[in-house]
Amino acid sequence: MTEDINKNREYDDVCFIQRLTVFLACGMMLFFSFAFFAGEKKTFSENENRVLAGTPEFDLPSVRNGQFMKQTEAYISDHFPFRDGFLGIITEGERLSGRKEIEGVYLAKDGSLIESYVAQENTGKVITQFFRFSENLENAKCYLMIVPTAVTICRDRLPDYCPDLKARGRHAGPAADHGDPDGQGFDPEGQESYGQESVINEIYEGVSGRIVTVDALGALKEYAGADADTEDRLYYRLDHHWTTRGAYAGYTAFCRAAGMAPSELTDYEVKTVSDDFRGTVYSKLNDPHFGYDRIVSCEHPDWKLKVEYADSGEVTDTMYAPEYLEKKDQYSYFLNNIHPLVTITNEAVPDGAAAVVKDSYANSLIPFLAVHYHTIYVFDTRYYKGGVSSFINEHPEIGEVLILYNLGTMDNDTGIGGIY
Amino acid sequence: MVFSSLPFLFFFLPAFLILYHLVPFRAKNPVLLVFSLLFYAWGEPVYVFLMMFSAFVDYLDGVLLERFGNTILKRRIFLCSALFINLSLLAFFKYADFAVGIFNGLTGLHIGAPGIALPIGISFYTFQTVSYSVDVYKKRIPAERHYLKYLTYVSMFPQLIAGPIVRFSTVQEDLNSRRTSGNDLVNGSRRFLTGLMRKVLIANQIGALWDSIRADAGISMVTAWLGLLCFTLQLYFDFSAYSDMAIGLGRIMGFHFPENFNYPLSAASITDFWHRWHISLSTWFRDYVYIPLGGNREGKAKHLRNMFIVWFLTGLWHGASFNFIIWGLYHGVLLALEKYVWGRGLKRLPAFLQHLYTLAAVVFGFGIFTFDDMGEMGRYFPALIGLAGHPLIGTDVLWYAGNYLPVLAVAVILSFPVYPRVREKVYGSGRAFRNSVLLFEGALMLFGLILTVASLVRDTYNPFLYFRF
Repeated sequence: MTEDINKNREYDDVCFIQRLTVFLACGMMLFFSFAFFAGEKKTFSENENRVLAGTPEFDLPSVRNGQFMKQTEAYISDHFPFRDGFLGIITEGERLSGRKEIEGVYLAKDGSLIESYVAQENTGKVITQFFRFSENLENAKCYLMIVPTAVTICRDRLPDYCPDLKARGRHAGPAADHGDPDGQGFDPEGQESYGQESVINEIYEGVSGRIVTVDALGALKEYAGADADTEDRLYYRLDHHWTTRGAYAGYTAFCRAAGMAPSELTDYEVKTVSDDFRGTVYSKLNDPHFGYDRIVSCEHPDWKLKVEYADSGEVTDTMYAPEYLEKKDQYSYFLNNIHPLVTITNEAVPDGAAAVVKDSYANSLIPFLAVHYHTIYVFDTRYYKGGVSSFINEHPEIGEVLILYNLGTMDNDTGIGGIY
Repeated sequence: MVFSSLPFLFFFLPAFLILYHLVPFRAKNPVLLVFSLLFYAWGEPVYVFLMMFSAFVDYLDGVLLERFGNTILKRRIFLCSALFINLSLLAFFKYADFAVGIFNGLTGLHIGAPGIALPIGISFYTFQTVSYSVDVYKKRIPAERHYLKYLTYVSMFPQLIAGPIVRFSTVQEDLNSRRTSGNDLVNGSRRFLTGLMRKVLIANQIGALWDSIRADAGISMVTAWLGLLCFTLQLYFDFSAYSDMAIGLGRIMGFHFPENFNYPLSAASITDFWHRWHISLSTWFRDYVYIPLGGNREGKAKHLRNMFIVWFLTGLWHGASFNFIIWGLYHGVLLALEKYVWGRGLKRLPAFLQHLYTLAAVVFGFGIFTFDDMGEMGRYFPALIGLAGHPLIGTDVLWYAGNYLPVLAVAVILSFPVYPRVREKVYGSGRAFRNSVLLFEGALMLFGLILTVASLVRDTYNPFLYFRF
């Protein structure tokens, strides 16, 4: 029975080449061990935009509950020599082997990277929270814009036969399961479609009557169809955000819902401010093969802006933060990254005020709102702890409240619970 | 600790190997023991004491058997108390929650489950210590006089947590005196590196494919079967890679562990499969359960009873869940059928059909094996026969197979004894040709190692499947 194994004995004598191979392999591994100790330990990864694991703390309780081991493993992985290079090597290997999806990212037909969509667990809770928030508002009219991600709008660029092209997509299976008891993920009314369109419809139906819903999906699809042949993208090639042009499409959808006439894109000074942007989706794969993105800014000639950041006390005259263009996280060019409350005043407009409760997708849309309002209050509920609805009720001049989230990361915003 | 992890490969292993080869022979076992306990404590900082206790029970049993085992009654008492303690620990730590669940289900009561976390590798080391006690009782081996040496055997980190199930008789001599030859070092390292690559570059990749097929609610029938095939390949490469690494590491130290796999997916019958899959487990059950029960020598009825017991236990050993028991009995039934019904007919079929039958039966069996959630099994299995709205064939198979075609192809080739045959050809031809093939193999190995490290850096944590058992 074990004839194949026993034959090994005949081949037991090793030759020089085999010895050399083993020596080189051992040498390579020892080299990385030494490089780890010799290497400088960064505290923050620009590339992955996250704080790296700190030095593990050794004490008895943390050894007993395994915390020390977990921290050590994270520390070694985060500070492993040539970490970024290794990430690129494995992506490149998988790409060359014919993979069209790597780490949940589709390698789209046009060379861009599109994150696949997995319906998330907390969507039901999020709807409830929007609803309760709108109930707490006394005067202001509430608008909700849920923005689909590139996987829905750029369907025609997805690789052939991929699961996101099917009606019955994937659910949060065992691998992605984090405490969802029936392992089904978000299940809109037991339907078997988990696509973004049906999730957005479900959310919109849940809040109808109370909140005016904004059809960003329809507007984006319109623009995608009209601009099919142009180079103007609605989503970045390598980032999970929409581009300035995508944001403009979303803005027109809001204007339509609010009964305002949108400003024309031609009214703005459109400028390419960066052509070496590599965003979050790039960082997941980290393979230079995928190239770069362009960032475009739009400034209206009539703007007379004052932008105040409540947390830092900083006051500027622009909604853009060019210093971020020198860093990895270039999308933070729009509205200067994360702040609990930003107040934007445009002296060119005599009156009117709005509040935006939002994630980072809104940062590139808000500039377009400036021509309609004297004051815009921008809240990030993850960090604003004062109660957004009471702030709005204390400022009766606020006529419109726009809630804006993208569907891809909506569940990540655990602060949504704090919006009312 | 996990073999395929950065802390093990780049810190634990180099530190151990350097120290191990620097110290004189009398210090080698202590170094091995200390590192083994560290290795286990890294994953089980508390249960490491449970393992030490379990080993102590059998050590004591061995000593008692030799010193005071002068009557058959005493010998039986010693053996039974050691078995009782070991198997009770296994039952308590592995099966208590399961048993309480069954009890609640039968009686309608709501007793709270104890909620015990399974100590890593308890099924493996319990079987090792049990085999030791029985062997000493049967006077097949002398008892070990030194507890620490015995503990070194039980805790030896290469094979501690996922096999192969090494018997004391196999390593007893090596424990007392062994040397590592140049061939051992090089071939052990090659074996280890091969196992590492099989785990990271094949098992993990195909595992990712299986995860995405499993998460897809709308798969076609063909994809559903592809999915189970993927799980089968994942399990085979995952588990046999662990054995490769264990055997390789053992060899680097001069130990000779038994082979655990012999191209099981190329088996021509289920009987053949079980001579090739997890060999150290099936021979354990043969030697310590099946043969003591009488094997096949006491008539058909008793033979069938013995098979039922062995395969019920084999299933149960794999996990505290009904699907494992069903899986074990499924194989038991197939083996009985091959023995008494269609075994002879099967052998007359063309070889191709024999292999197809075996592979289909094995793959379907692992379908039972993989779903410990019966609800999920109920959702997946209709797809295997195209029911519940699942189409027979769809473009999804192009997507899944297309994305992983090279890995799947390599996995399938490596599942059959192609490599030994190629090697035979290469060694049989001229020296220049042989050297160039070896050069190519070496380059492939180094290239694979870089990809392996890259893959490990990306997904930091990916434990072996058999850790759960």
